[in-house]
This record gives sequence, C-alpha cells and structure tokens, in this order.
Amino acid sequence: MFAGGPHLRGALERETSRPKSVGATLARFGTYFKPYWPQLLLVVAFMLAGTWAQVTTPDLIGQIVDCYLTPAVTSQFSGGPSLPGLPSSAEATQTSNCRFPEALQLTTNAERMAGMGRMILLVVGLYVLGAITGGLQFYLMTHSGQHVLKRLRVAVFDHILRLSIGYHVEHEAGDTMSRITNDADTIQQAVSFALVQVLSGGLLIVWIAYNMFTRSVPYALVAMSVLPLMVLATTYFSNQARRAFRRTRKSIGSVNADLQESIAGVREVQAFSREAEHIEAFREVNAANRDANIRAVAYTSALAPTLEAFGYVALMLVTAVGGLAILRGQDFFGTTISFGLMVTFLGYVQRFNQPIQQISVMWTNIQSAIAGGERIFGLIDTVPDIQDQPHAFPMPPIRGAVEFKDVWAEYKPGEPVLKGVSLSAEPGQMIAIAGPTGAGKTTIANLIPRFYDVSRGQVLIDGHDIREVTSASLRGQIGMVLQDTFLFNDTILENIRFGRPGATDDEVIAAARLARADSFIERMPESFKTVLGERGAGLSQGQRQLLSIARAALADPRILILDEATSSVDTRTERLIQAALEKLLAGRTSFVIAHRLSTIRHADQVLVIDEGKIVERGKHEELLAQGGFYHDLYMSQFRRQESSLAPGGDGRGTMEPSPAG
Amino acid sequence: MTLRRGNAPGHPRIPGGLARAIRYLGRYRRIALAAYGALFLATGAQLMVPQLVQNIIDAVTRGLIATRVLELPASIQALAAERLGLSLDGLTADRNGAESALLWAGILIVVFAILRGLFAFSQAYMGERLSQSLAFDLRNDLFAKIQRLSFSYHDRNRTGQLMVRATDDVEKVRLFIGQGLLMAVQALVLLTGTLTLLLFTNARLMLVALPILPAALALFIVFGRVAQPLFEKVQRFLSSMNTILQENVAGIKVVKAFSREAEQSSRFSEAADRLMQQQLFVARIFSFLFPFVFLVANLGQALVLNAGGRQIIQGTLTLGEWQKFSLYLVYVFIPMGMLGMIISQMSQAAASARRVFEILDAKIDVGNRPGAIALPPIRGRLRFENVGFRYFDSGEAVLSQVDFEALPDQTVALLGATGSGKSSIISLIPRFYDATEGRILIDGHDVRDVTLESLRSQIGIVLQDTTLFSGTIRENIAFGRPEATQEEIVAAARAAAAHEFILSFPDGYETPVSERGSTLSGGQKQRVAIARALLMDPRILILDDSTSSVDLATEAEIQEALRRLMRGRTSFVIAQRISTVLNADQILVLDRGRIAAHGRHADLLESSEIYAGIYSSQLLDDAKPELASMEA
Repeated sequence: MFAGGPHLRGALERETSRPKSVGATLARFGTYFKPYWPQLLLVVAFMLAGTWAQVTTPDLIGQIVDCYLTPAVTSQFSGGPSLPGLPSSAEATQTSNCRFPEALQLTTNAERMAGMGRMILLVVGLYVLGAITGGLQFYLMTHSGQHVLKRLRVAVFDHILRLSIGYHVEHEAGDTMSRITNDADTIQQAVSFALVQVLSGGLLIVWIAYNMFTRSVPYALVAMSVLPLMVLATTYFSNQARRAFRRTRKSIGSVNADLQESIAGVREVQAFSREAEHIEAFREVNAANRDANIRAVAYTSALAPTLEAFGYVALMLVTAVGGLAILRGQDFFGTTISFGLMVTFLGYVQRFNQPIQQISVMWTNIQSAIAGGERIFGLIDTVPDIQDQPHAFPMPPIRGAVEFKDVWAEYKPGEPVLKGVSLSAEPGQMIAIAGPTGAGKTTIANLIPRFYDVSRGQVLIDGHDIREVTSASLRGQIGMVLQDTFLFNDTILENIRFGRPGATDDEVIAAARLARADSFIERMPESFKTVLGERGAGLSQGQRQLLSIARAALADPRILILDEATSSVDTRTERLIQAALEKLLAGRTSFVIAHRLSTIRHADQVLVIDEGKIVERGKHEELLAQGGFYHDLYMSQFRRQESSLAPGGDGRGTMEPSPAG
Repeated sequence: MTLRRGNAPGHPRIPGGLARAIRYLGRYRRIALAAYGALFLATGAQLMVPQLVQNIIDAVTRGLIATRVLELPASIQALAAERLGLSLDGLTADRNGAESALLWAGILIVVFAILRGLFAFSQAYMGERLSQSLAFDLRNDLFAKIQRLSFSYHDRNRTGQLMVRATDDVEKVRLFIGQGLLMAVQALVLLTGTLTLLLFTNARLMLVALPILPAALALFIVFGRVAQPLFEKVQRFLSSMNTILQENVAGIKVVKAFSREAEQSSRFSEAADRLMQQQLFVARIFSFLFPFVFLVANLGQALVLNAGGRQIIQGTLTLGEWQKFSLYLVYVFIPMGMLGMIISQMSQAAASARRVFEILDAKIDVGNRPGAIALPPIRGRLRFENVGFRYFDSGEAVLSQVDFEALPDQTVALLGATGSGKSSIISLIPRFYDATEGRILIDGHDVRDVTLESLRSQIGIVLQDTTLFSGTIRENIAFGRPEATQEEIVAAARAAAAHEFILSFPDGYETPVSERGSTLSGGQKQRVAIARALLMDPRILILDDSTSSVDLATEAEIQEALRRLMRGRTSFVIAQRISTVLNADQILVLDRGRIAAHGRHADLLESSEIYAGIYSSQLLDDAKPELASMEA
C-alpha cells in the first residue's frame, strides 16, 4: 500500500520545462483531440465510475461492520430474550451508522452471514467494475492519445521537409530531431499515463474527502490532518530531487563524453602512451557522477518512507481517535462514530498516499508536455522561406538554358553573399565555377534548384523565372551530386533508386553501370541488396560518390549540379569517377564547383568568383593567358595537382588497417 | 543471496555473470551490511503496525463491551460476564485500561512509523550508494580495460557497441544488483514474515487466502515476461522511426534536390503508424492484464473479508484481528508484485552482466611480456626480419616476408595501392599489432621484449585523419608530454607552423578544441598533430604526408614543417606526393603484402615496372597535358 515504486525516480529524473502560454497550447491540443471527443467522454465516464467504485468499497465494508458484525458481537452477551434491561439490537441502531435498518432486526448468525455474504458480493462487483473501467479508461486514453501523437509527429515531419534549406542550415539537426523525439515522448507519457493519473488521483482525493466530511466533519478533519504534511513533504523532496537530478544529467553527460572520446580515440591514446592518465581522469569524472547521484537519491530515498510514516500516523489517528470516541459514548463533536465508520475511514486514509505522490510527480510531467507541445507548435508555425506561389505552374520539360540576371543573395539580411551575378548557360554547356573558399560558389549552385531565393535579380530557366514554377517540377528536372554524399540506411538498390522511385531494378543497375559503380557493388557481400550502414558507413568516400552519380544518372535530369569532392580518393576510384562524370554530363547543362584540373579544362565556360562577384569568365586557356585572378587561383589551387603525386595510396590515412589488405 | 536457492520456476540459480557482479559488493561490505541491516529493521517495524492497529481496535472493543456489561444491573452482570467467559475483575480492568492501552498502542505506532521511515530511508539510500559504487567500479574497470585493449580488439568492435556496454549494460547490472536484489530480499523477508504471522494468528483464515498466492505470483511473472519483449518491440519501432527522421533532417538537401518529400513523408507516416499500432497493442494487453492482476489481489481481500466476517459473527475472531488481516494481506501482494518484476528483470541483467564481463575478460593481444625491459634511448636503427602478419589469427596474410633495414635518420617512403600493406607495416613498429612471423628489431631489441610505454614514447605519429581531444589547444599539443613547459609547447607550435593561427584565436593556446575538433580546420588540426609529435622529440617518426585541401601558402608551410619534423629522425612515410619519393633514402613498393621493389627513385624508375607504373599513373598522367599547355 505504501510502495513508492521505481517509476517515481524515473519521473523525477526526467528533464522538465515550463510552458509559456498554457492556454493557447492547450487549445491547440484541443483541436487535435477534437475528433476523439466521444472517446474522451467515455474516459471521463469510466473515470467517474471507477472512482465511485473505489470510494464505495470502504463504505460498504464499514456497513458490513456496522450492520452485521457489531450487532453479532454485542448479541454475544446481550442476544436472546433472557437478559432483560439490555439494549436491544434495534436500539443499538441509533449508535451505529448502519444504513440498512432491516439488517439490524436480524437475530440469528446465519441470517447475518447471509446478509454479509450479499454485501461482500457487492464489494466483489465493485472490484470487477473498478478493474473493467480502469482497463477501458487506460486503453481509450492511450488510443486517442496515440492517434493524436501520430498526427503530431507526421505534421512535424512534413513541416520539416517543407522548411527551406536555410532553416536547416541555421538550426542544428540535433535540435530539430529532439522536437520529434524528446518532446513527442514527453507528450506521449503525459497523454497515456500522467493525465489520467493526475485527474483520477485528484478526483479520488476530492471524493474521499467529500465522503469523509459528509459522514463526520470533525473525524474527517482528524483523518486528513496529515494530508497537508504529506503534500508538503512530497513537494519539498521532489523539488530537491529534481534539482539534484539536473546535476546528475550533467555529470553522466561528461562521463559519456569522456567514454565516447576515449574509445573513439583509443588508438591515439595508446600511440602516445596516455592510458594511465586517461584512466585517472575518467575515474574523477566517474566519481563526480557517482557522488552527484548519491546526493540526488538521498531525496528520492526519503520521499517514499516519509509518506509511508505519515500514512501510519494517519492510520493511528483514525483508530485511536475513533476508538477513544467509541469508548466515550460514540459522540465525537456532535457526530456518531461507530466501528464501521472507523473501518471505512481506515480504508480511506490508506488510499490517500498514492494519488498524492502521483499528482506531484506527474504534474511536472504534464507541464513539460505542454512546454513540449509549445515547441512543436512553434516549429509547425514556422513559415517556410521558400514556398510555391499561389499561381505557380509546373515547369515544362527543361531544354537547359540557365540565366542569372543581376542576382543578389544573402543568408543573413544585410550581408550579401552574391553581389550582382549575371551569367548565361546554353543548353548542354558545362559551366565550371572556381574561386576561393567562401567566394559564393555553393550559393550559385543552391539558387538554381531554388534552395534559397534571390534577394534581388532573377534566375531564369528556359526563360521562366524559377519562382513562378512549382518547386517539385523544377527540382524534379535538376540533378545534384553533392560533395558529401548522403546515403540512407537501406539497400544499395534503394539508395540509387532514390533518384527516381519508379525505376525498375534493371534501370537502377544500368544507372550503376553508367556510373561505373557496378564493379564495386558486385563485390559487396550481397551485391545490390547489401544494406548500407548509417550514413553509408563501410563505403569509401569515392564509392559513395559513385553511388551519388548513379543516383543522378537514374534521375536523368536536364540540368546537373555537381560539387566535386575536395578530399582525396585513391587513383583507381578517381579515374572511375572521371569516366562516370564524363558520361553523365554529356548532353546536359551542368554547373560544376570545380576542384579538379581535368574538369576545369573541359568546361565550356569557367566562372571565377571572388567575394560574391564574377571577376573573370571565359575558357581555361584564355583565362590563364590573362594572368589575372584566375591565374593566381590556378597556381594555388590546381597547380599542386601536378607538382605532387595525385591522390593515391590508401588515402584514408587512418591507422586503422583494412583487414582486406 | 537468498535468491540463489531459487524461488522462480525456470531460474534455478543466479546466472554466473550476476554472481560475479555481486562479488563486487565485497568491496563495500559496510555499506552492504548497513543496507541489508536497515532492510530487516525496516521490515520488522512495518510488520508491527497492523498488530498495533489490532491492539487499539481490540482495546476499544473490549473496553466497550466491559462498559456495557458493567452498566447492566448488578444481578445480571455476572451472567453476562459468564457468557463472555470473562470475570468481573477482568471486565473492570478492560474498561479502566482501555484508554491507556489505546494511547500506548497509538504512541507505539508513531514510534514504529518513525523507525520504519528512518530504516526504510537508510535501506533505500544505502542500496543506492551500493549500486552507484558498483556502477563506478564497473565503469572504471571497463574504461581501463578498453583503454588497454589492443588495436585488433578495437578493429572488431565499434565505438557505439562499447559505449552501450559501458552505459546501458552497466546501468542494467547496477539496477539489478543495487536495487533489484535488495527489493527481492525485502520482498521475501516481508512475505515470509507476514505469512508466518498470519499463519500463527489465524491459520484457518490464512488458508482461505492461500490459494490466491501462487496464482498471483504466476500472474506477476507472466506480466513481467509479457511486458519485456513488448516494450523491446516498441523501442525497435521507435528507433526505426527516428532513423527515418534523422536521415531526413541530415539529408534534407538530397531529399529536396530529388523532390522526394511526398515519398519520405509516407515512409515516415508508415513508421509512425507501425509504432502507434504496437503501442496500442501493448495498451490492449496492459489494459487487460494490469487490472486483472489487481482484481485477483482484491479477490483475495474479499475472501478474507468474508471468511473473517463469518468468524467474527461466530465469535472466534475479533474485529481488530480482522482489520489486521486485511492490512497484512496488502503486505503479501506488494512483495509478490515486486518479485514478479525482479524475476523478469533478472535474465536481462544477467545478459548485461555477461556482456560487461566479456570485455573485462577479453585478452589483450599486445602487452608487456613478463620481464620486459624498458627500451633504452634509441638511435633509430630499425630492422624488419622476414615479417609476416595476419589479422585475427586467420585469413589471408596481410604481410609476408617483409625484410628491410632502416638506418638512423633515414627516410623510408612506402608506396602501393590501397590494401597493399603500407598501413600494416607502420602499425607493427609501435606494436599496435604483433607480427605473426619474423621479428622487428629497434637498435637490436626485439620490440616484443621491451615495455610498450618505453617503445611508444620514442615513436612519433602524424596521420592525415587527426584525432584531437576535448581540451585546449595547449593540452592537445602537450598530449604526449603533459609536463612540457609553455616555452617548449610554443617552440613546437612554431616549428609546426601552427603558432600564428593559434594566436589568431582570441584565447590563443587556451582555445578549447570542441568536440570532434570542429573549431579547427583540417589543415590546422594537422599542424597541431605535427606540433604534438615534435614535442615528443621522437627518434622514430611515422607519418602520412598527404595534406587535406588547404591553400598553397599553408600547404607550403605544412610541407616545410614536415621536413623539419623528419630531419634527424628515422622516418616512415606513407607517400602521397612526389617530393617525398624523390627525397626518400629508401622506397618500399608494396604489392599484396610483399615488397615488390625496394631502392631509390632513380634506380626503381629503371628497374621496377610496378614503380614506374605507379609513378606515371599517379603523377605524370594528370600533369602532362597541363605541362604541355603551359609550354604552349
């Protein structure tokens, strides 16, 4: 009856946060719950029925005592007609709280037993009712809660996909992630457990109090006198515990960070013989975590025993005060106390304990859920920067003419990254973009599929301003091969098919062949069916780029944007990539952020960007001959490809030897 | 402990891993004694309370009856007393003593409530201390072991896996040993205590409730068994949904570039739906099982209520005893719930313990041989004698018959395709692995005969993919020699061409290197790594001379720094650039684990076809047309 339960600590350990605008957020939740109002109504009905069953049980047991047991005990010495002068059972009614006068008229034990049996059957009925309503209430609440949660999750996910690249660059992936994972999790806890527990717990306390007060106000006051102390103790200990656990979250964070770093860097640690120092440093962090935890559990360990002790005191007060009153003529400040009432009250005070703990612990859980909801709604309310215009039309099949007209672009207001860029690419041309880091090369590439909007000027494809067409129709005809190839945790086949979901397996394999990726894929354990690890772990940089090329080849776009990898790959793969790209680029308008000499030599136009402006343009040889900015850039960026050995050997350069070698 | 005797079908003994974890508690004997001592006292105090409640109620009942009887006319008092089987003196004593008996019992309840509170607190607190101390020890041992396990072990095990062992598995063992075990003992003590008391006071009444007990215990166990896999499945669905989410957030650009939003959305929606369906399935089972378990417990109460009521009516049971019974019954069902939960946790905790000890028992492949000597300061003469090497004792040979000698201060360039064995050769020198055949001698000492510390402290390593640790730049440079002075650190940084960029940070040398070193660019990290190696002033140097994409000026500086670093040391370089090859004293051309050619650049160009091939394909191919255009 007085078990604190391990859930207590779990609830106190969790991160909590306070909502800012409770009303608005609740109203917003309300709209989500609206389709489920019949279920919620049932939940309330079951809650009322279940609580009624719970408060009625002690009352019935009290009635058993007053109507059948006490009379039986009294009749042991007063029963039968042979003792004149004794108060009869009927007279005793006045001093008992039995509400069934006919029961007091019974004279034989057999009749009493039968009557009591009937009442116990009622009690069993109440237990069954409590179990059924409890189960249904939990299920219905979970049912509607889970549906709402799913809708919320999908809504957030869809919105994340709608938000522009700009948003994602600005907000860390981890932060966005936690909106759906942590916040949704808190909300789930709240809707499936906390809400029902707080509401039914609160209802139970109020109902019990009401029942006690209607039976006897003074006796109720005695029974409930420890309640404020219980509330105080609970709030005090749980607040302290929460504060202490906040420290443990930090300390376990540093333990994990230390572990992570030292395990990941274990080769370095051993190479420099730093094991002993690292072990010692970890010991300290680890000890700090142990101590923080021990401090925190001092509070959680105190809570349950304190409440339990108060519970026993309440038990004692009810029996002792009630007993005294009974001994002194059953009158207690104007109300009659009987054994039955005492038993009823005993049953009631035992039921106080749990709801108090639950409410205090779960209440903050509900607060956190509201705060989580606030953050989720905040995300959903973020207006995407890039949206289709109301009258946007689908982009007709692209021929491939791209034009920038005096384009300005900025990521942060007032800090233009592109300052009046104008360019024109004929269908089928290859445009190389060169320039130092931060010059604006990537920005130009990002504007073509409308990842960002220009702040001034226009980007035209086949004469259409790209802001006037739908994003989907535009991007569907533009392919991208990015520097850091993103692969999904799926088979190679599906990863390539990502370029065009409708493609048949044969088409996927053909694209892989075109991208020269087939040879390494076929060497994988399960060939095209090999599942790639997280983010394509297990593949080399070069292999990942080949997959990316295959993906783009499958999409068969009219315009291709290519960000060449800067990091080195081994020579064989390098050649494969070159050959694959040549095939891929043929006949398409392409924009290449160039890092390779060969690319830049084959380009129809080389655009040299510096500080957001095109400073030079033309063919490679012409530009080199000019001896201007490009010449210098070439000397610093590309020249080394001839003065050094082209990337070769095992370019991964880690000490981790590949077991294959 | 007590569980060892086995109280759960199917779990006859505590599994080995757990027994071994329990032995860790021996280090904290006093805390353990305090926890278990408090447990007994707390349970004892708890068991007193229902008895005292009975005392009060009985005192009241007796007092009341006595009062009533003594109020009767004197003529029939005796008769009434006789019917009750009491003497008049006894009745008077009952009447007069009732109030003080009641008060005493009341006071005792308060005393026992306080004792119970204090001891229950001590039990919980000490138990927690015990469990935290256990986790502390396990984590320390794991960490120390992981730090010392050889490279071959780390090749087979991923960081993530080891992390899970040190976090989740340790936590599961902690919860079981620290809390679960204590709870189990408490449950057993409470259960046996209560059952004994009940049987002694009123065996007949106890027998009524007895049949419910095994049923309830079975239910609790079923409950635990059913719940665990269900929750695991929920967890699996949750993490697969989160994977989709994470992929889409991290790969948003790809998703948008290929306009795959609609498809990804339905993929996510499906995963969210699957999760929801599983949650609802769990809810369906729980909404039946949970209330059912409570119903069974309550039926026990109803049975006792009825049987007890009948006994009262027959005059064989007092009202107080009856109340005591219903209080004690709660003490029976709660521990059974606890036991059911703990038993279901036990197999999981055992699996966790086994995984933890698997690491602690892992063999360290490369360690100090007994009687290993400290390697004296070396001159830098290094010899591979017919070295062969394979990973994991099996599989293909990665190196075979590698035989060469490097003289002090020589530079040895290693050249070859991916997987030709270059990395393996350099990994054998500081004994990251041990050669499987042949031997490696430094100044005539077999590297396996000297202590790892003395060997590695004389070898410097700079690799392309540099790992820096969280801490300041200064600490990272001083990584191999924490006792180095500021002057030495600055000198090393200067020589590594790192001094200037370090000073350009507001905090200079005290700039914190954030997680994964993201405050520093690739080129900067590389220079910090060079400074780190320089500070160690090693006689033997191992490096990878490739530079990540940096501008020409920086590259020149790095090259210069590397040249300075190599000067006067025996160096092994995984060669990525032509200048290295041209300047090397020896070039080892590797092919499938064998030395295919060995010599200087000019000789090899003529004598080795492989070398000529690598040379022309990796260098000249790209540069030739370029040179032509330059000349034009």
